[in-house]
Amino acid sequence: MARYGMVMDMRACVGCQACMAACSMENQTPYWSEKFRTHVEDSAHGEYPNVRRELLPRLCMHCENTPCLSACPTGATYKTEDGIVRINYDRCIGCYACMIACPYDARYPYDGDDVEKAEALYGSDCSHTMPHVDKCSFCEHRVKSGLEPACAATCPTGARIFGDLDDPNSEVHKLSVSGIARPLRAELGTSPKVFYIPA
Amino acid sequence: MSFVHQEVWHWQIATYLFLGGLGGATFAIGAILHLFEGCDRKMLSIAVLSGMGFMGIGTIFLLADMLQPMKALYALTNPSSWIFWGVIFINFYFLMATVYVIPLLRSWPKLVLIVEIIPDPILDLMERFNRLAALGGSAAGFLVAIYTGLLISAAPAISFWNTPALPLLFVISAFSTGAAYLLLLSTFSKNDYAHKISEKLEQLDAGLIVTELIILGAYFNFAFFLPTGARASAAELFETPFFVFGFMGAGLLLPLAIETYSIFFSKHSKQSAGVVITASLLVLLGGFLLRYYVLHAGLYQYPW
Repeated sequence: MARYGMVMDMRACVGCQACMAACSMENQTPYWSEKFRTHVEDSAHGEYPNVRRELLPRLCMHCENTPCLSACPTGATYKTEDGIVRINYDRCIGCYACMIACPYDARYPYDGDDVEKAEALYGSDCSHTMPHVDKCSFCEHRVKSGLEPACAATCPTGARIFGDLDDPNSEVHKLSVSGIARPLRAELGTSPKVFYIPA
Repeated sequence: MSFVHQEVWHWQIATYLFLGGLGGATFAIGAILHLFEGCDRKMLSIAVLSGMGFMGIGTIFLLADMLQPMKALYALTNPSSWIFWGVIFINFYFLMATVYVIPLLRSWPKLVLIVEIIPDPILDLMERFNRLAALGGSAAGFLVAIYTGLLISAAPAISFWNTPALPLLFVISAFSTGAAYLLLLSTFSKNDYAHKISEKLEQLDAGLIVTELIILGAYFNFAFFLPTGARASAAELFETPFFVFGFMGAGLLLPLAIETYSIFFSKHSKQSAGVVITASLLVLLGGFLLRYYVLHAGLYQYPW
């Protein structure tokens, strides 16, 4: 079984937000409420004239030790054999316990208003027909067909590298064990499967 | 690193945590009084029924805050979640409270006819095991009260919450509000024995407030020494007038002063009932403010 992960090469990210748009189109995220499965944080640091701009793309880290899965009382949050953390919309009661437990702010509520707008916009193709908590699924439906997640496939600079962390020939494996790429907030013990190469 | 307020759980959840703790502790203390002090059955029945009412209203607040409340039964699926255990504890609470309170309702002449709809063998069984139900109920009340703290302490990125001190603080605060509520009830009781119960409850509440102050001191001291969001949360709370003057001043120190005065100098006359009622109401207000502001001060520590 594969163990999917992603490496974010911060040296390459230009903050174009194409990943956000691609994800939103692929997964029908409620962009009208500014809710995205992947988000590029854009922040300024320092004081004029020594100011630097920092970009940080983020998404669900598909942690090995998942605080969201432990917090979910209904079993709506589950992990696939490939280690992808997913949500069963039918079982989600929207108690927000998973959102509170997630250290990476990866989840958002797909509320009644969002569902209404999604149904009006996407018609019979609408994939969100009931309120639930939503987040990145590593585009599991695409991965199953041998494709990359929409964000990685779209990234014009190749800043998002997706693959099997257990495959010694994969680039994500090599980068994840190189020590160059590191996860966010490793001290929490969540063992994220998304790694970052600093800019 | 940046600190960001949690924008997920608001006053509705604070109300649920407050009423859950209050309901749990009211039953737990009432049942303990029954077991060891032989308390007035009429007062106990009001206490347990209102405890169930608090719990019911609290649960409504929780359900109203959910996206899909009609699917709430699914919450009995994952035992690694504190909400799963909350559902178990609350159901155990309602079961124990119902079994416990029904025989007590016989002490109300107007309710006897309704109670007697239940077949005699079941009623006799409930009467026979009433003390056992009281024991089970006190355990259920304690579990519900401590669960309210365990629920929010399970957030690894909110370091102000993610500490064993929080469930401890919430359970002691819950028992303090429960004692204050029972004190309020005993003030209105016409039973000859009520003033004795009032004295006990006052002593209990004063002791619980002192314990709460000690835990608060340790909790904030610990938070201020952590180089994390906990320090930012603690600092923010100390800059919030409603927390400092509302919760700590009016919700803890003032009722403690009133109760201490009452324990040593007052003889529980009708004239002193007013101040006891004031102290009780202040403790209840403080209990809500604690939960509201602790929830509000929950800061995520993000790496961006």
